[in-house]
Amino acid sequence: MSEVDVSHATGDVEVARPSHTLANGEPRIFVEDSRALPLVSIAIALRSGASSDPVGKEGLTRVMVRMLRRGCRGMSSHEFEETVDLLGAEISADVSSSVITLHADVITRSLDRVVDLLATMMAEPTFDEVEIGKLLRETQGEIVEARDSDRSLATRHFRRLVFEGHAYGRRVGGTIPTVLGLTQADVRAHHAHHFKRGNIAIAFAGDVREARAAELAERLLAALPKGRPVPSEIASPERHGKRRLVFVDKPERTQTQILLGEVGSHPRDADHIALHVATTIFGGTFTSRMMRAIRSERGWSYGAYARLPYDKERDAFSMWTFPAAKDAAACIALELELLQAWREKGISARELAFAKRYLVRSHAFDIDTPQKRVHQRLDVDLFDLPADYHDKYIDHVQAVTLDEANESTRRRVSSDDLVVSVVGTHAEIGEAVATAVPGLAKVEVVAYDAE
Amino acid sequence: MTQTEPTTKETGRANQRRAEILRELNAGKPSTARLEHEGSIPLGPAMLVQKYRLGNGLTVLTSIDASAPVVSYHTWFAVGSRHEQAGKTGLAHLFEHLMFNETENHPAGSFDRTLEEAGAESNAATWVDWTFYHESIPRDRVGLVIELEAERMSKLVLREPQVTSEKEVVANERRYRVDDDVEGAVSELLYKTAYTTHAYSWPTIGWMADIEGFTTEDCAHFYRTYYAPNNATVVVVGDFRERDLLSKIQKAYGGLESAEIPVEDAKPEPPQSEERRLSVKKPTATDKLAIAYHGPAFGDVDHVPLTVLCEVLFSGRSSRAHRTLVQQDEIATELRGWVSTFRDPGLFEIYATARPGRTSAELLVALDREIARVVAEPITLTELEKVKAKVELALVQSLETASGKAEQIGFYHTVLGDPSGAFSRLDAYRRTTRSDLLRVARRYLVAQRRTLIEVHPETGSDERG
Repeated sequence: MSEVDVSHATGDVEVARPSHTLANGEPRIFVEDSRALPLVSIAIALRSGASSDPVGKEGLTRVMVRMLRRGCRGMSSHEFEETVDLLGAEISADVSSSVITLHADVITRSLDRVVDLLATMMAEPTFDEVEIGKLLRETQGEIVEARDSDRSLATRHFRRLVFEGHAYGRRVGGTIPTVLGLTQADVRAHHAHHFKRGNIAIAFAGDVREARAAELAERLLAALPKGRPVPSEIASPERHGKRRLVFVDKPERTQTQILLGEVGSHPRDADHIALHVATTIFGGTFTSRMMRAIRSERGWSYGAYARLPYDKERDAFSMWTFPAAKDAAACIALELELLQAWREKGISARELAFAKRYLVRSHAFDIDTPQKRVHQRLDVDLFDLPADYHDKYIDHVQAVTLDEANESTRRRVSSDDLVVSVVGTHAEIGEAVATAVPGLAKVEVVAYDAE
Repeated sequence: MTQTEPTTKETGRANQRRAEILRELNAGKPSTARLEHEGSIPLGPAMLVQKYRLGNGLTVLTSIDASAPVVSYHTWFAVGSRHEQAGKTGLAHLFEHLMFNETENHPAGSFDRTLEEAGAESNAATWVDWTFYHESIPRDRVGLVIELEAERMSKLVLREPQVTSEKEVVANERRYRVDDDVEGAVSELLYKTAYTTHAYSWPTIGWMADIEGFTTEDCAHFYRTYYAPNNATVVVVGDFRERDLLSKIQKAYGGLESAEIPVEDAKPEPPQSEERRLSVKKPTATDKLAIAYHGPAFGDVDHVPLTVLCEVLFSGRSSRAHRTLVQQDEIATELRGWVSTFRDPGLFEIYATARPGRTSAELLVALDREIARVVAEPITLTELEKVKAKVELALVQSLETASGKAEQIGFYHTVLGDPSGAFSRLDAYRRTTRSDLLRVARRYLVAQRRTLIEVHPETGSDERG
């Protein structure tokens, strides 16, 4: 299957998306064997995430996943936690828009018992109503507490605007009203929808051989129903074509959190690696253009970074700085200048050579543990990456030409189509910040504690 | 004290080979560059650390780990914020930033640039007792790191514009970590109140006025005083050849002179006899409570049992305080406990966040009830076994990368003088009994020796839902 890239109207063709299950509909198993330490890491990943939350029930996937460890067949919530600790294990869960991951680290001697525990937790959770009520109230407290983090606030509102009307713009953890409205029936139905054998991929890393991993995987999934992968409900995000500013107003800020950006790219885009290399020069290292101009030369911000992450679809390209309130407007103006210069003049041949050397040589640290290696393989499966994305990463980086790097920047990065998210004290710097961003089509001022 | 490896036939041969290598390397070298092997130290059941010392006092700890084609190179200096003076707080940390600047043979900006071009990951950290710099690099580029680290240990160039700019960066780091962060600000106030005399009373990042007031000469004086080979330990873990590594280290550092490290003007903290309590208002939605009991030094025999007790109370969802305050009574959102890992006596810290509408007073009553229980009666055997299993897992996890191993070796050597201290400590955890826990609970968890900071929202706790 191939798809024409419509949203960016570039005419480039995406590579084929891989099949997620084996021919018999059974899950894929990935193994990276290492005897270096008596430690096994297990990742159980579901190809569906919070984007499947029904409208008005945001937070449902996350609540459902957190409930898995709050009681299962034969065990109360406390008994489950105590057993995990006694076994010398750690179990955690992560929910994103597109993926649910259960992760366990365990000392080898307890591997069998932890696998059995994970299997019971996934297939036979009790979803006790009293426990659900407790978790909903706990989540309410956590949502309120998250307002203490200025960086989280900036990120939340940045994504809300960049992905306006798209699944990536919704809050994975939900809002207080949506979370408090969830019921036991919601949680049970959502669990049944996601936890099917065909919707799962499993990765083992560390002190476990391939044959044993296959046997353990079968035990993990034995009690789950068969079923195909849950269809992705995530569309390709679209750009909005205008400059928008959201100012999150919080009292007594001596510093601002600033995010600028827009919809980025995906490894399926033919020019993704070229843009990745160009972004490395712009804001990906400690000596990047952003870091030199903002931190080294002016001392304005402790950090100054640009990122180009990927998900199942294009994620956001973003620039992050956190200058003192007095420098916020000047810092934003400088970031816009840097962005404009990058887009119009591109990077130099010397910069390209540097970025290639950095990315190729530092790749050793992307694969220096079995866990990192196996997660690369898992990512290919979960995020529909080209099959050779990681295996041929070095070759692909080496092959990027100066024209490709600069063309990808001109094509994907726009200084007009831009969201600026700022957390600060509006009465003190709101006007200066708005003035620093010419051509704004929309300005929002929101209270930091508004839901 | 370090435990050296018992001599067997095999280690005897290895020692003989090592002696031959050192004879060869030391031939014709000045006294500052002569390398001595001080011992082979087991690091757990499967690894070894080799300890060397150069004639100028530089300690070198090496451990071969060929699990990935990389090398991690750490340089630990025995200087931290405890070595500063009132009015000059934050100097150790500011100086750490300046170490990434110009040297006699490398212009400003080239240190990071050169390392990045070689594919290295590098950073640094400063705390109360130490400062360390670390690089992880593909194995064929380790010589570059050695050359750069040796150069900046003795040939750093400090100029006014860089110092001025870096002060701004650090001021912004302070705003990020402390001034605009409720927990960071509360932690700073907790230490300032709990310590009246000891240097642990001021924050490692320094007071803002002190950061703004530093001069280039302050920085140069600090460098001349503390950055010397005899105040440093180099830790190298990864895939390298021992002889080649030692030869490069000898060449790069052998010409450096040792310095006279000043005797620390130590000011032990006097015993606290009355509870100290402060109440502050912050732009936050909920009440918070921070508590600090005076605790033992990291090397004290009581440190391990007190850490176990902290885990029993606060570590994870099965811990006592979490079950009571978060799950059962629903008065807290978040709970954490920690026993300082400092060379001098530290703190047993507790940090709790109230649910919307609940108060710090309620948190205190509930926490006091849990503290009173561990003071009155032994914990259960299950609770003790649980902590021992968790500690073992955490240690194994910390050894997954070459950098993780190097950090464990460097930290334990710098704070306790024992490169394999992580494993000695694991043994101490395994030996810990319920009686030990009762003893330390009664010795340290005393209300008269604690400090409390209560945090209230500036506009009341009527959170908007």
